[in-house]
Amino acid sequence: MNVRLPIINWLVVLLLLSLSASAQQVRRARRIVPDSIDTKKDTRRGPYTIVASAGSGLSYYSTHVLIPDALEQSHLSRFGVPASFRLMWHPDHRLRIGLESGWVPMYSYRGQITGEPARVNISVIPVLVVFSMPLAWLSGTERSVARRMAVTVGSGYYLNQSRLRYAGDVIGSKNSLGWMAAGSYTHPIGRRFRVAGELKWYDAVSAENAAFTAEVQLVWRAFSW
Amino acid sequence: MKRYCYLVPILFVIAFGGCRKDYEAPLPYTFINSSGSGRFSPAVRQALEGVYVVSDGSTQFGSEVVLKWSYLLEGTDSTHYLSVFTGLDAAYFNLEGSAQTDSLVLNGYWRKLVNADIGLARLVVQAKHNGRLQAFSGNLPAGDTLVIKGLYGAGKNTPSLPLTLQYRRPLNKKPFNIMAHRSGGRTADLLPASENSVAIIKLASRLGATGVEMDVRYTKDGVPVLYHDNTLNLRLIEKSGLTGSLESYTYKQLSALVRLINGEQIPTLEEALEAVVYNTGLKFVWLDTKYVGPMDPIQAIQQKYLQKARQAGRDLNIVIGLPTTDALDSYKALKNKANTPILCELDTAITRNLNAGIWAPRWTLGPQTDEVLAMKAQGRTVYVWTLDEPTFIEEFINQNKFDGILSNYSPVVAFYHYTEQ
Repeated sequence: MNVRLPIINWLVVLLLLSLSASAQQVRRARRIVPDSIDTKKDTRRGPYTIVASAGSGLSYYSTHVLIPDALEQSHLSRFGVPASFRLMWHPDHRLRIGLESGWVPMYSYRGQITGEPARVNISVIPVLVVFSMPLAWLSGTERSVARRMAVTVGSGYYLNQSRLRYAGDVIGSKNSLGWMAAGSYTHPIGRRFRVAGELKWYDAVSAENAAFTAEVQLVWRAFSW
Repeated sequence: MKRYCYLVPILFVIAFGGCRKDYEAPLPYTFINSSGSGRFSPAVRQALEGVYVVSDGSTQFGSEVVLKWSYLLEGTDSTHYLSVFTGLDAAYFNLEGSAQTDSLVLNGYWRKLVNADIGLARLVVQAKHNGRLQAFSGNLPAGDTLVIKGLYGAGKNTPSLPLTLQYRRPLNKKPFNIMAHRSGGRTADLLPASENSVAIIKLASRLGATGVEMDVRYTKDGVPVLYHDNTLNLRLIEKSGLTGSLESYTYKQLSALVRLINGEQIPTLEEALEAVVYNTGLKFVWLDTKYVGPMDPIQAIQQKYLQKARQAGRDLNIVIGLPTTDALDSYKALKNKANTPILCELDTAITRNLNAGIWAPRWTLGPQTDEVLAMKAQGRTVYVWTLDEPTFIEEFINQNKFDGILSNYSPVVAFYHYTEQ
């Protein structure tokens, strides 16, 4: 049971990579059609774009927390301010691929242990392969709202970090497999820049850390060819 | 392309909608733990120990079972428990005598270690005289046979399935060390106490163990504690958010904020040995060296508790395990090696050079008959670790060459050892 989720996550990644590759193949196949048969069709590929985005907002830790009994006058905070950045390749078909990382505070608690203050902060650094697809793939046209909305999923590693400040300062870390799913709306504000709002679920599975985030992102279409 | 449109959502539902199943085996029975043995006098207890044939219930527990008593000490009080070890699915029973009846009644639970099956059990001890069952008073005339009849059930349900055990022969009396891994058993086996806790040490005898292996590490401030893994993780501890190596935390931090999976504190080595000496009848402790560093503090604690055991009149051996060349170097660096029993897991040449009293090869190296016989001829004790597969446990016991087995399934080792003829 425990190994099932990572295996399926990687299967999904492989499937999406295969989808991406097969989308390229379709275009390539079209390209080799002899001019005599289809002379009017535009066979040029592209445009391709490298898109960088960075964002921040609010995170809410959305799974169970257990505060140690020894902590008196304890206070738990499930909210935090996450930061994320993403580098995507937007090809001439709708399935986009990229990498995402950032820093997501999960939760923190503080209190007193026999009169001494104690504080614990938990955060994760995701390193994910992400796939994104605008909803226009289903029904939209180039100018539709659906074209500006996208779903994004990702899978990869999470570096789970804890920081304890009680009778000293200890920073610990643990690797964990996990996934991410998000929905976004991107609004153009210039030729190269967009503003996006994204709702996102991060899940570091084996560390049992999961958070819901709402972010505003600045999207920069860095290179096009 | 169209098939992918169907495949993608299906895979996502499986991957992200599929819940990870939590396995649990909550104890359905709360032990009264009353001191003394009530109507189960020493004579009754002695008569009850043996190998029994299972008639009703054999599909669930196998055709033969072993009945063996164990005890817990609290000061001068002792509490007695009857364990039943079966040959099927690593199942065992933990029972205590009921003081509220005129007959010899045993209440408790049964559990299978290979899955999460657990349930209540209620048994009555009787004697078969001329083919008829009658109350057993502790005196068994020649020709009479002990029969234990009762009911067992699933989970917390009232027992309703019949179980009948009939005495067949006494237990195998040959000396043999049944050593329980991780101080009594693994957390992964859903035991009622966490591995490497004081609670599991107190439970070890009821799981068939005559000895325990403990995993010793140092905290950041040099306190020897029991903990198996390299890191704090949810397999072993309750969720507190803290991660990283145990060695990066001080004992004060761990004792305040970290609890083992069943809520116990991570015990210091001294707390663990205190429990072994003063609460249990265990005869052997194997201190597994999980640390890299000086061995002097462990040696000092070993010698302190060997002395305490002698003073308490206990037949107890505490040995330091040497599983790696790092541990070997730590041992060699000790200034004084007198009164420091060791167990060497390395090859026979190193064991001989160290003059270790115990050689403990891993079981995957096979029976190693020549080496085992040679080491025994030199007066050494030979144990094998960590053997969990029932077929091999039976085979190793029947070969009669090893002096003990370290296992996560001490009830299985107990079954095959005590039933061996």
